Amino acid sequence: MSRPPVGTLIGLPVAAVTLALPAVLDDSALAVYILLGLAAMVTVGVSLLMGYAGQVSLGQGAFYAIGAYTAALLSLGGVPPPVGLVAAPVVAAVFAVVIGTPLLRLRGHHLAFATLAMQLILLSLAGQLDFTGGDIGLQAIPQFGVGSFEMGGAAAYAYLTWGGLALVMLVTHNVITSRPGRALRALATSETAAASSGIPVGRYKLTVFALSAAFAGLAGGIYCFYTGYVAPGSFPVLISIQYIVMAVVGGLGTIWGAVVGATAITLLLQGLNTLATVPGMPTYAPSVLSYAVYALVLIVVVLFLPQGLLPAVTGRLAARRDRTRQPLTEERDGSAAESR
Amino acid sequence: MLAVTGISRSFGGVYAVRDVTLAVGEGEVCGVIGPNGAGKSTLFNLITGHLAADRGGVSFLGRPVERLAPHRRARLGMAIVFQGARVFRGMTVRENVMVGMHGRTRAGFVSAALRLPRHRRDEREIAREAGLALDRVGLAEWADRPADRLPMGQQRALQLARALCARPRLLLLDEPASGLRAGERERLATLVEELRASGLTILLIEHDVGFVTRLADRAVVLDLGQVIADGPPAEVRADPLVLAAYLGQAS
Repeated sequence: MSRPPVGTLIGLPVAAVTLALPAVLDDSALAVYILLGLAAMVTVGVSLLMGYAGQVSLGQGAFYAIGAYTAALLSLGGVPPPVGLVAAPVVAAVFAVVIGTPLLRLRGHHLAFATLAMQLILLSLAGQLDFTGGDIGLQAIPQFGVGSFEMGGAAAYAYLTWGGLALVMLVTHNVITSRPGRALRALATSETAAASSGIPVGRYKLTVFALSAAFAGLAGGIYCFYTGYVAPGSFPVLISIQYIVMAVVGGLGTIWGAVVGATAITLLLQGLNTLATVPGMPTYAPSVLSYAVYALVLIVVVLFLPQGLLPAVTGRLAARRDRTRQPLTEERDGSAAESR
Repeated sequence: MLAVTGISRSFGGVYAVRDVTLAVGEGEVCGVIGPNGAGKSTLFNLITGHLAADRGGVSFLGRPVERLAPHRRARLGMAIVFQGARVFRGMTVRENVMVGMHGRTRAGFVSAALRLPRHRRDEREIAREAGLALDRVGLAEWADRPADRLPMGQQRALQLARALCARPRLLLLDEPASGLRAGERERLATLVEELRASGLTILLIEHDVGFVTRLADRAVVLDLGQVIADGPPAEVRADPLVLAAYLGQAS
């Protein structure tokens, strides 16, 4: 269902490449690799929230920011970095529960706009308040480390990031293939029918919202240690939209789809950025290209690959494999291509 | 087992259900019939908790439940087969039925994420019960298909399996025969007869009088939100008030 056998076959080589990459990439490529991993971490949460539980949040960037500020403030205050890194997802999740209690009564577009408003409010607060450093933000955040061991070098952060991503993916996989996961998928179709099967719909929606916020918070925590500074400008509203585009492009309701979507969009943006900074391009080219690309990619994917990249590719592979293995009826063939 | 006393609900000043009193005894199959717009669905939602009553009470297994949320009523032993399809999309037939076990198991997010022993124990039990329920309604061979692509009759059977998985004390069926072809309807009626024979208490809300006459021990007739007749189906069918209500609607 969510992970076709083809996906598992590809998974192992992918994992091997993931582990090998930090050793061979240079620092600027590693920066992209780390930011990609962090984006994938947030996007897995978006996919869980939107694809499995049917709730839309345009505010995941806010939870990313909360995680980053939490870890930054704690470590600047002398708390050991590992404690700060654990606190980042916890604080993000607690915040999600607090604001989710009223917000999750809203549905669809209303919920999307309410979460967007939440991010705008938080960003403007962070830009005004003294303890968050105002618009300048927080600087000179210590390196991540355990005890006397201090982490230096981008490769170490790459491993931390992708290890975190693996953890997030494992937790998501374990949740969706279990009793609470089935309950989430059920309430995405019909809250009425889910409630009548004994599912406390409100509490489950709040829990999955908090879980997706925790993923974003963890990514934010790693981000602050890696970059060494956080500022409101690091978390524009566009970043929240970016996560949604990544989730939709990769394929909602698949865990690997979130990673594929994050990779595709990150590489595309990098490519466009290179193109836009070619000598002779107008100065506004980078921002125009990056903004326009979200809209275009989203439209193209929704029109031609409504299930997203990964389900489209794996579905086709599975169908082809079935066909070569044994001649099958059209019905079976069709179900393989359309299953997600 | 179920007692509804003087329940009322209005929408915009118009009563959909007005002062309805109804009791269903242990092991009884009670049918609620009435023409379109008689308030059957509203009454159903008041009993399940998806609508709040303006006045009146609902008691289930001897305790008042009118203030309980739908999922709490479900956990006390009310299971529902809805009128529409209401199967969970993007899930297989088996997974749909497994959802029915939700109220009888407890493994939560933490147990699931960490794959704790409670998760394993619950999953085993859920799988076993779902298998039994699938066998019971004859869907075992469809178990691993996507649920939303089953024909209507089997989607209804799937909902029934999901409801049975919860081991309900009271089964509520909302217009189970609507939208089904003759063969599908016959299979569903046979299933309900088997459940009745096993002693399950059933409240059947149905537009089709023939379906209720065949399955119910007692029929309650609603018209314009009020009970106009209550008794054995054969007697109720001959009641002049009932005939007038149905004829009035037909003319």
